[in-house]
Amino acid sequence: MHSLIQLSIVVLLLPLLSFVILIFFNRRLPRRGDFVGVGILGTAFALSAYIFWSVIVQTYDPAFRVAWDFTWIDLGKVPGIGPLQIRMGIVIDNLTAIMLAMVTLISLLVHLYSTGYMAGDKNYGRYFAFLGIFTFSMLGIVLSDNLFSIYIFWELVGLSSYLLIGFFFEKESAADAQKKAFLANRVGDIGMWLGILILYSQFHTFSFSEIYANLAAGKFAMSNAWLTAAGLLLFMGCVGKSAQFPLHVWLPDAMEGPTPVSALIHAATMVAAGVYFVARIFVLLTPDALHVIAFIGAFTAFMAATIAITQNDIKRVLAYSTVSQLGYMVLGLGVGAYSAALFHLVTHAFFKACLFLGSGAIIHAMHHEQDMRWMGGLRKHMPWTFATFTLATLALAGLPLTSGFMSKDAILAGAIGFANAEGGGIYYLIPVLGFFSAMLTAFYMGRQIWLVFFGESRTHLKPADDHHSAHHAHGAEDGHHTAHEVHEVSWNMRAPLVILAALSVFFVYSPNPLDGAQGWFMKMIKTPETVVAKYKVESIEHSALSTQHSALQTEHSAHSPADPRQAEIAHEAHLAHFPAIYISSIMVVLGISLAGIVFVFKIIDPDKTAEAIRPLYLFSLNKWYWDEIYEATFIRGSVLLSKILSWFDTNIIDGIVNGVALVVKNVAFANNSFDKYVVDGLVNFTAFSVNTTGAVLRKLQTGKVQTYIVMLLAVVFGYFVFYFTRLIY
Amino acid sequence: MEHLLPIGLNHYLTISAFLLGFGLFAVMTRKNAIVILMGVELILNAANINFLAFSKYNGGMGGVMFSLFVIVIAAAEAAIALAIVINIFKIFKSVDVSSVDTMKE
Repeated sequence: MHSLIQLSIVVLLLPLLSFVILIFFNRRLPRRGDFVGVGILGTAFALSAYIFWSVIVQTYDPAFRVAWDFTWIDLGKVPGIGPLQIRMGIVIDNLTAIMLAMVTLISLLVHLYSTGYMAGDKNYGRYFAFLGIFTFSMLGIVLSDNLFSIYIFWELVGLSSYLLIGFFFEKESAADAQKKAFLANRVGDIGMWLGILILYSQFHTFSFSEIYANLAAGKFAMSNAWLTAAGLLLFMGCVGKSAQFPLHVWLPDAMEGPTPVSALIHAATMVAAGVYFVARIFVLLTPDALHVIAFIGAFTAFMAATIAITQNDIKRVLAYSTVSQLGYMVLGLGVGAYSAALFHLVTHAFFKACLFLGSGAIIHAMHHEQDMRWMGGLRKHMPWTFATFTLATLALAGLPLTSGFMSKDAILAGAIGFANAEGGGIYYLIPVLGFFSAMLTAFYMGRQIWLVFFGESRTHLKPADDHHSAHHAHGAEDGHHTAHEVHEVSWNMRAPLVILAALSVFFVYSPNPLDGAQGWFMKMIKTPETVVAKYKVESIEHSALSTQHSALQTEHSAHSPADPRQAEIAHEAHLAHFPAIYISSIMVVLGISLAGIVFVFKIIDPDKTAEAIRPLYLFSLNKWYWDEIYEATFIRGSVLLSKILSWFDTNIIDGIVNGVALVVKNVAFANNSFDKYVVDGLVNFTAFSVNTTGAVLRKLQTGKVQTYIVMLLAVVFGYFVFYFTRLIY
Repeated sequence: MEHLLPIGLNHYLTISAFLLGFGLFAVMTRKNAIVILMGVELILNAANINFLAFSKYNGGMGGVMFSLFVIVIAAAEAAIALAIVINIFKIFKSVDVSSVDTMKE
C-alpha cells in the first residue's frame, strides 16, 4: 500500500472519530467537546496538506495516480447475476489531493468559526458531531474509486445535510426545509442509482477504472442511446446534490440551517460533490449527454442570477448566487472545459465560504437580523468583515486580479469555444447566458455590498411587529439580543474570514492574473480523454476539420487530449481566451455600474423601476414561481394520486378483503351449525340413549334377593320353554 | 280297593313337584327370613323325594346316598343361614327381607 493511501485513510477516519466521540460524550467533555472537533480537523487538515504537498508540489505530474482497493463484501455466485463482489477502494490523483486539502481546510475553518457563532446553543456538542460526520462522508466521496462506495457516501452526505439543515428543528421552517432538501436529493439519487445499475449490468464492476477500460475497449453491448441515458441518469445525482434546475428548489430553503453550515455544506463542499462526481464520470459522457448538461448548467446559472437580484434575505441572495455559480461549473463540464469547471469549483468554494461566513458574522452582529433592507452602514462597525466580504464579492463578481475572474473566464472561454466548435446556432445561447449571468452577478453583489455596508443604519425603519417576530423566531439560537450596538466579531470568527479571503486572490493559483491556464491548478488538472469509443467513428468530419489546427494545437496545448472533438473544443477555447476576458470584464463593469447607478447615485429609483416592470419583478421575487409550480403539479399530483390510491384501497382492496371475510364467515357459520347440530347431536344422542337405557335397567336392580330369584326362575323357565320348543319342532 | 291305582313313580314326582312349588312360593312371597329358610328346606326335601323315588325304581343305591348327603348339607346350610339371619337382625334390627335392599343400584 502506498504511504499516501495510508495517510488518506487516516484523514478519512479522523472526522468519523470526531463524530463518535462528540455524539456520545459531548456532555461529559469540557466546553461540550468543541476542541475535539477543531483539533481532529486540524490534524486531518495537516495530513491533507502533506498529501497535497507531496502530490501537487513535489510530484508535479498531471498523470499522477495511486489506487488501492480490497474486497469488502463477497456474495459469491448470485443466481441471475453471476459472481457478485463489492470492492472498496481509494484513488489519489491530483484532483483528489486538491479536494482533500480544500474540504479539510474549509471544514477546519468552519469548525473554528462555529466555536464563536454557535456559542451558547443548547445542542452545541451535537452540532460539532454532525459537522464531523459530514466531513467524513464528503472525504469518502472524494476518495472513492468506485461508483458503489461513492453512492454510499453520497447518501451519507445527504443524511448529514438533512441533520444540519434541520438543526434548529424547533422552527417549523427548518423542519420543512430539511424534508424538502432530503426529498429533492432523493429524486436525483434514484436516477444516479439507475445509472450505476445500467453500467453494472454491462460490465459487472463498480470500479471507475475498470468501467472506463471496458468502455474504451468497446465492450458496451447496448446502443449509444443507453450510454447517453446512463450518463444523464448519473448526472441526475449531480442535479439533486448540486442544486441544478429542476431540483434547485431545496438549496435556498436549506439556508434555515446555521450559517456556518451553509458555508460548509451548501456553498463550498457538499454542493460541489455533484460537480466533482460529474468530473469523475466525465469520460463516459457522450456528446449528447454533455449538450444536455451544458444547457441545464447555463439555464440554472441564468435563472438563479435573475432570482438573486430581488431577494432581500442576505443568505438567500448568497444561496441563489451559489446555485448560479454551480450552474457555471456544470456548464463548464458540459462544454468540455473540464479543468476550468473544477478550477471554478475550488475558487468558488473559498470565496463563497468567505461570503457565507461573512454574512454569518453580520447576522451574528445584527442579533439575527437577516433582512438586508434593515441593515446598512456596517462598514464602520465591522472593518474586518467588510474588507474580507468585499474581496470575496469581487472574486464572485469576477473582477480581474481575483481567483474568480480566472476560473469564470476559463469557463466562459470554454463555452465560446464549444459554441464555435459545434457550429454556432443555438449553442451560442450557452455563452450568451453565461455572460449575461456574469453581469447579473456583479449587479446583485454590488446591491448586497451597498445595502449591507454603506449608507446609514436602517435598523429603526423596520416595522415593529416584523422586528418582534424575527427575534422571536430566532430566539433559539440567540442568547444576548439585549445589546443593540453592532460590534466586530471575535478572533475565532475573524481568522477564517481572513484566510478564505486570502485564498480568493489570483497569485495563489496563477502567476498571471489574466490567465489561469498558466497556474499550477490548470496544469495539474487536465481534461481526460473520453472513452466513448463509438463517438470516435462518428466524428471523422470533425477530425478532418481539426487537422487544420494541428499546428496550433501542438503549439498551444501540448497536453490537449487526443480525441478530435475534445481537441477542437480545447483549441477553440484557447482562441476564445481573450475575447472572453474582454466580454466578461465589460459585463462585470456594466453590472457594477448599474448597481452603482441604482443604489449609490440613485439615478434610477429601484422601487419605481420595480413598479414599472412589476410582472418581471414579481417573477424574480417569487423565484420564477418554481415552488408554486411544484406545489401545483408534483405535490398536488402526489396528493391526488394518494387520494385515488386511498379510495382504491378502501373500496376495492378492502372490498375484496371484506368479501372474502364474509364468505369465510358464512362458511364458518355453516360449519359451526353442522358441528353443533349434527356432530354434537350424534354425541348427545348416544349419551341420551345410554342414559335412558340405564334409567330403565336401573329399575330392575331392586336389591331384594327375592326379585332376583323371580328373575332367575323366569330366565330358567324361559330357557326351558325355548329349548324344549326347539326339541319338539 | 281294586279301583285304586298302586302308588307309582308319578305319585312321588307329583308330591315332589308340589313340595317344590310350595317351597318356591314361600321363598318368593314371604317376608320373614326364617320362613324363607323353611321354604328352602321344602325345596331341598322335594329334591330328596325325587332322588329316593328314582333310586327305588332304578334299583340302585346312588339316590339314597345322595339324599343322605343332601340332609347333611341341609343341616349345615340351616346353621349357616341362621347365622346370617342373626347377623341381618343385628344390622337391620329386623328379619324382614324386604328391608334388606342395600344392594339396590
